[in-house]
Amino acid sequence: MISAGLAVARDGREVAVMSQAEIVEALLDFIGRPGASEAEFEALALRVFAYQFTHNAPYRRFAQQRGRTPLTVRRWRDIPAVPIKAFKDLTLSCCPPDEAERVFMTSGTTGSGRGRSYHPTLKVYDASMLTGFAARIMRGRETIRMGILFPDEAALPNSSLAHYLALAKDTFGTQDSAVFVGPGGLDLDALLAVLAHAESTGEPVALLGATYAFVPVMDALTAQGRRFALPAGSFLFDTGGFKGQSREIQPDAFYDGLSQAFGIPRSECFNMYGMTELSTQFYDDGNAVCPPVKSGPHWIRSRVVDPLTGQDLPEGETGVLVHHDLAHFNSVSAILTEDAGVIAPGGFRLLGRVEGSASRGCSVAVAEFLAAAQG
Amino acid sequence: MSTLEQAGHLPGIPSEKIGRRIVEHSAWGETVAVALPDLDEDQAKALCGHVRARARAALRRMETARIVAAIDRASACLLDRAHPLRRKAEALLPVVTGYDSETVRLGLSSYLKTFRRPQLLRFLAEDFCNPGVLDGFQPAVKGGFVRARGPDLLLHVWAGNVPALPLWSLVSGLLVKAGSIGKLASAEPLTAGWFAHLIAESDPELGECLAVTWWKGGTGGAEGAFLAQADCVMAYGGDETLTALRAKVPVTTRFLPHGHRIGFAMIAREALDSRRAGPLARLAAHDIGRYEQQGCYAPQMLFVERGGPVTPDEFARHLAHELAALASRHPRRRLDPGEAAAIAAWRSTHEMRALDGSATLLGDPADPWSVVLLASATGLSPSGLNRSVAVVAVEDLAEVPALVAPHRAYLQTAGIAAAPARLFALAEDLAAIGVTRITAIGRMTAPEAGWHHDGRFSLLDLVTMTEIEASAEAAAEGFAPYAD
Repeated sequence: MISAGLAVARDGREVAVMSQAEIVEALLDFIGRPGASEAEFEALALRVFAYQFTHNAPYRRFAQQRGRTPLTVRRWRDIPAVPIKAFKDLTLSCCPPDEAERVFMTSGTTGSGRGRSYHPTLKVYDASMLTGFAARIMRGRETIRMGILFPDEAALPNSSLAHYLALAKDTFGTQDSAVFVGPGGLDLDALLAVLAHAESTGEPVALLGATYAFVPVMDALTAQGRRFALPAGSFLFDTGGFKGQSREIQPDAFYDGLSQAFGIPRSECFNMYGMTELSTQFYDDGNAVCPPVKSGPHWIRSRVVDPLTGQDLPEGETGVLVHHDLAHFNSVSAILTEDAGVIAPGGFRLLGRVEGSASRGCSVAVAEFLAAAQG
Repeated sequence: MSTLEQAGHLPGIPSEKIGRRIVEHSAWGETVAVALPDLDEDQAKALCGHVRARARAALRRMETARIVAAIDRASACLLDRAHPLRRKAEALLPVVTGYDSETVRLGLSSYLKTFRRPQLLRFLAEDFCNPGVLDGFQPAVKGGFVRARGPDLLLHVWAGNVPALPLWSLVSGLLVKAGSIGKLASAEPLTAGWFAHLIAESDPELGECLAVTWWKGGTGGAEGAFLAQADCVMAYGGDETLTALRAKVPVTTRFLPHGHRIGFAMIAREALDSRRAGPLARLAAHDIGRYEQQGCYAPQMLFVERGGPVTPDEFARHLAHELAALASRHPRRRLDPGEAAAIAAWRSTHEMRALDGSATLLGDPADPWSVVLLASATGLSPSGLNRSVAVVAVEDLAEVPALVAPHRAYLQTAGIAAAPARLFALAEDLAAIGVTRITAIGRMTAPEAGWHHDGRFSLLDLVTMTEIEASAEAAAEGFAPYAD
């Protein structure tokens, strides 16, 4: 257990460092207090930074290299953001890694190695997930019958998405909710039976899963010449993109396809944007228009920066997204993603991955080189 | 300034019938709109037919010397700073490519010098013991006679935004009397068309035998027609582009791919005294800065030997200083978000290494250059481009071939600063692992005329030989009217 203490600056100024228990308590309180002000966010962000700076040695060295310490940083925007690649190269954890209750790992589809996030407790992650999901996806509804198009936690114990979907199903799913991806792959027949049942009874249903998991379902329906008209109140939820697991479909075509196959308007097709390197998720309010504006709850803030200098870009300019997620308290709260985005009223628009292979000449660029190395 | 520049050169097709696609390029506060020709499938077939027919009827009968003269005159026009096309090139290319105007001006002159008569003769001499084989049957060493013929229709698929790069393959095609159709790269869609116009002005008959156009890759239609009609396809691009293209080329068509490459440099301890290290760093900075490392020959890593009076660490600092100085004379191109992200990703990888002391990042992320010093021998890997480079300290340059060998498929140019005996010893080892060009530091981005690009023959790879065997010649004597 990490205890509280004081960091003392050379000039004698003292910065309080909270214990893990205090941090967890403060975060659970903050998550439960909607409408927290910018100043409150900033105050907590600085305390979380002091905590991570003190207990996370690689992050401390990283921050020091940039001349940023709890004594020099006064604004949350100045807290140094680590590139998400660092989660592969370094052990970024305030608690000893083997004391973590759970370790979430990236799927390893991009680059080499897998990024890791250590969670000494899942209390904060779960509170963050449930509060966000209730507000943005359930929208006042208590429960809905859920069909999950992703393996469960037993199959993928290190997958943050498996845990996320299990929380969604166990908390907001009706008793007859089910996972439709097992060791043998997708159980299409069972899934179609549930959809047909919903269609005939008028009981709304929600399908939640990885983006790529919807592709074979759509393909199967097309092959059978079958379409559903799911009852009002039903919704679709996808996340994570295609990751080479299915063919790539452009967003507009994808949501048109979903809408036609299931009889659900694009405005009821939600996309979640999350990362293993975060404990909080972003949502849109449907995909009637792509790319939609995405936003997160009050304990996460996003910036769009020039990736080279880390400076904020003016609204409307495309840059790279930096997220500052207080709920990711044990690791690093500020991360520099590899996702391109632009700030928009109410949030940001996600514009896909930043193209790393930007060589327009005949030099080999890193992305091409890595692709060849991975064969 | 806002102009609409017509790209391409399309003999035999009325210009009012040609579809156009307008692409805007902006840099240095100016905008240039370029109208790319966009032919439909029937026009593509017609263009192939025209070029092939003119090549057969006219180009085949031309003496090589006449073609050399026409290319020489076209190059002379573009080397003449008062010529309207040269002035246009100096005005428009910086806006289209983003390179600063001095880089474009100097680069254009140095490159075009490669295509004057003496250099063109070197191209020919480099690949043919007797270039006369291009004009008629010549006695063969083994007996009999031999003649070389280029393809009737050679398709060039160009890539990249290094100004005037397409001229290399365009000129090679003409020298072997191939009817040529080139596909412009949308990143630099102007020079090839201008050069074709100059050829046409200089020798109208020759101008009918070559065309420069554009199509959207991967869409069938015109692309399908061009690929189906060509006898030989010379293509430049990344692995993915080349793989896709190769799959569409009929198996009977010769396919000559030039993929992306990575260059590196090696600096020996004997070159690292206080008198030599500074100038060497300036030359290396020149290789790095010229065209922002977009060319396949540009260095992305410098292996610097320990044990000289100037240490690798000091050399890296010299280099950083020279790159900073270069940036004030030749400002870096404005980077798009993807390019900035590529440098940021490369820097952050090294920043992680710096945490355990094995790497030192010089300069500030906002500087228009990046140098990282790696304290121990490290395998070859690409930099973030656009003036980012790794300096790798090694105990002995002899270690370097093993460090780069795993990337044989991507190797091409190595710049070396070392004493003669070591130069040759290193060259042996580098040749063995697939390096095909060794050059002085400072000359990496300026290959000499007749260069064997990627180790291949610019001209020889294009031709087919026809032999009259000695038996046929001897037998013919028996059928002569004067036979006894």
